[in-house]
Amino acid sequence: MPTKHDFVQHNCDHYDGNRYDHLDKRKYGEEADICIVGAGAAGGVLAYELSQAGFKVVVIEAGPFWNPQTDFASDELSMHSLAWNDTRLVAGNNPLAMGHNNSGRGVGGGTVHFTGVFYRFHESDFQLRTMDGVADDWPITYKDLEPYYEKIEKDIAVSGPKHFPWGPFQGPYPYPEREPISANSELFRRGCEKLGIRSAVAPLAILSAPFDGRPPCINRGFCNQGCLPNAKFSTLIHYIPKAIGHGAEVLSDCMVTQVVVDKSGRVTGVTFIHDDKEYFQKAKITIISAFCIETPRLLLHSACPMFPNGLANSSGMVGKALMTHTGHDIYAKFHDEVRIYKGTPVMAVSQEFYETDKSRGFVKGYTLNAHGSRPLGLAKNLVSKADIWGEKLYDIMRDYNFYAQITMVGEVLPDNNNSVTLSNEKDEYGIPRPIITFSYGENDNKLIVHGVQKANEILEATGGKPAFVIPDTGHLMGTCRMGNNSSTSVVDGFCRSHDIPNLYICSAAVFVTSGGCNPTETVMAIAARTADYIIEEAKKDGQYGMRKTSSMT
Amino acid sequence: MQERTRYINYNVLKEKEHWDDHTREIVLKRLGPFIEYKFLSEHETKMILAIAEHIVYDERKEILLYVVHNLDNTLASPIGENQRKVGIPEHKILVRQGLKAVDKFAQKQYGVSFLEINKQQQLSVLTALSKGEAMQMEWQSIPQKELFKKLATEIVSAYYSHPTVWSEIGYGGPAYPRGYVRVETGLTDPWEAKRDANEA
Repeated sequence: MPTKHDFVQHNCDHYDGNRYDHLDKRKYGEEADICIVGAGAAGGVLAYELSQAGFKVVVIEAGPFWNPQTDFASDELSMHSLAWNDTRLVAGNNPLAMGHNNSGRGVGGGTVHFTGVFYRFHESDFQLRTMDGVADDWPITYKDLEPYYEKIEKDIAVSGPKHFPWGPFQGPYPYPEREPISANSELFRRGCEKLGIRSAVAPLAILSAPFDGRPPCINRGFCNQGCLPNAKFSTLIHYIPKAIGHGAEVLSDCMVTQVVVDKSGRVTGVTFIHDDKEYFQKAKITIISAFCIETPRLLLHSACPMFPNGLANSSGMVGKALMTHTGHDIYAKFHDEVRIYKGTPVMAVSQEFYETDKSRGFVKGYTLNAHGSRPLGLAKNLVSKADIWGEKLYDIMRDYNFYAQITMVGEVLPDNNNSVTLSNEKDEYGIPRPIITFSYGENDNKLIVHGVQKANEILEATGGKPAFVIPDTGHLMGTCRMGNNSSTSVVDGFCRSHDIPNLYICSAAVFVTSGGCNPTETVMAIAARTADYIIEEAKKDGQYGMRKTSSMT
Repeated sequence: MQERTRYINYNVLKEKEHWDDHTREIVLKRLGPFIEYKFLSEHETKMILAIAEHIVYDERKEILLYVVHNLDNTLASPIGENQRKVGIPEHKILVRQGLKAVDKFAQKQYGVSFLEINKQQQLSVLTALSKGEAMQMEWQSIPQKELFKKLATEIVSAYYSHPTVWSEIGYGGPAYPRGYVRVETGLTDPWEAKRDANEA
């Protein structure tokens, strides 16, 4: 980072030129209607919807308020700073790699460095118990989320095909599909074609034409390093600035350390630390949108005499049933150059193996994404996840330009042994570090074998020679699951905690099952639905005055 | 030995004027000069330099010095480790104690320290570490596979962030503000790496 620009300093309060210097002079210092912890995929949408509805909204975010133009670079190593890099302890048979591949830090959260792949879940994803006799059904169905999926896609102008062959929504998407597609994606589609497997251009939260003052994608390929041109959607550049326009306040570089409960058992607000100093933010409603690790960590750490096992945890399910996606990367070598560094990483997909097919010997399935990689990403994964180093690593990397890659995003079933718990080791804020325990189950392992084989078949069909497989994971879900039964779940179908009426938990943490595709759109749809619910409830009981706000959108 | 590169005439730095300022500043710093070490001792830097040669299969000091400096920077930084397995020491301790254990191991096997054994012997030590097969007393407190993985991951990450290495593998590098225009099969932008006509 250049010394002349210290991103930690352009922190608190407001976007571009509308800042207060001191946290003692906060806009809603006395009391906010809504306090949202975390400014990621869910937090951003909530802030926008709720501030637009007239609530006094404060968003508290642990990381910086990035300025893409000065903070982002076309460089993999330096852009690891976008991740949640704090040390987490990992355990289990398949300890998870944490950081850049699953957790964001700073306003925008993980959306700042996701690939922009934007899928709706399928109907079957909400009904695993009913359809396959495993895991649980969600308390909500696809139909409940459908209007919110549609709204979000329009809000941010998702690009995608006219016809998407799988699931309940088959297009057309609001913006045209991206073209041309990268060589890697072309090879994928040709391979699929030869095998009679349907494929499509990926639905992406990346612009194919100008929208809302932002330009279309220029194929830098650095989606995961933060998009400099702002062609890729993130809540940092879309929902958060709009929320601020509607009056929301964003406190960045502020680490929430405690959710505070009064004697009546209601949440009064949160304490947070900025520059070593502790503050309190009072709010009528608190929403924890701090993803799947920090959310349960905060709830467990906020235990108090009334809730000795942690907040919202009468079911004992806070921190339980953590899920990831199998993210195995399958590579084949080609005679001609492919150059996987070019273009949006994922531009072609197949969900042909998404739904349960009993003949395969496992339930549920996966998405195959043609996937690009830049050199550090590939080399680092080779050494850290596939144990390839020395001359062998050198040989592979010398021929970097000749490899094509497919990444599977495979469903992982919930298992209560996969969990987030507190350790005895404390971090710099005095909060116990989380222990993240994860092991694949039998179904997961069978699904992986199948997915790797299919990916190799596709690559071989178009002339590739299967080369190596990197066992990787991506995305986190679960740990505060939703459900109708308060003894087996943490929140209801609207993300309201069963135990504390003015505490909501809204992020991928509430997922009951993981689905077989990238989860960001579903996180955002759930957030939009939760916001709607809060607005409707407030109208009903008339408890919160609905202010008229400026018409800025 | 085969040529290091299929792209003999390509130098990604020739395009640096087309990069945004922030990216250019970050990448050029990797060419040195480097500030002094903040965490590693002189002996430790020499050991990491020697280990890095094997991990990335390259002996060029001008690149490996950056690699060592990057690791030093990581170890000196207050930023977290992303993840650490339960029971494994914090990375600063892991590396420091681990390097001592590597020396002791070399001493027991060959009678001299790691830097004094020959390259082949060094490679066998590292291979044993990577497989967790260097069975000696000193490894009881230092998990050898974790040590190897930590060092290797940091070394490889920095190495493949060096512009000279980008040029050799034919990576087009940073592309802002101009982007890549020709992304389809067989097409390259005029400024991307072209293979040497004579290479195999």
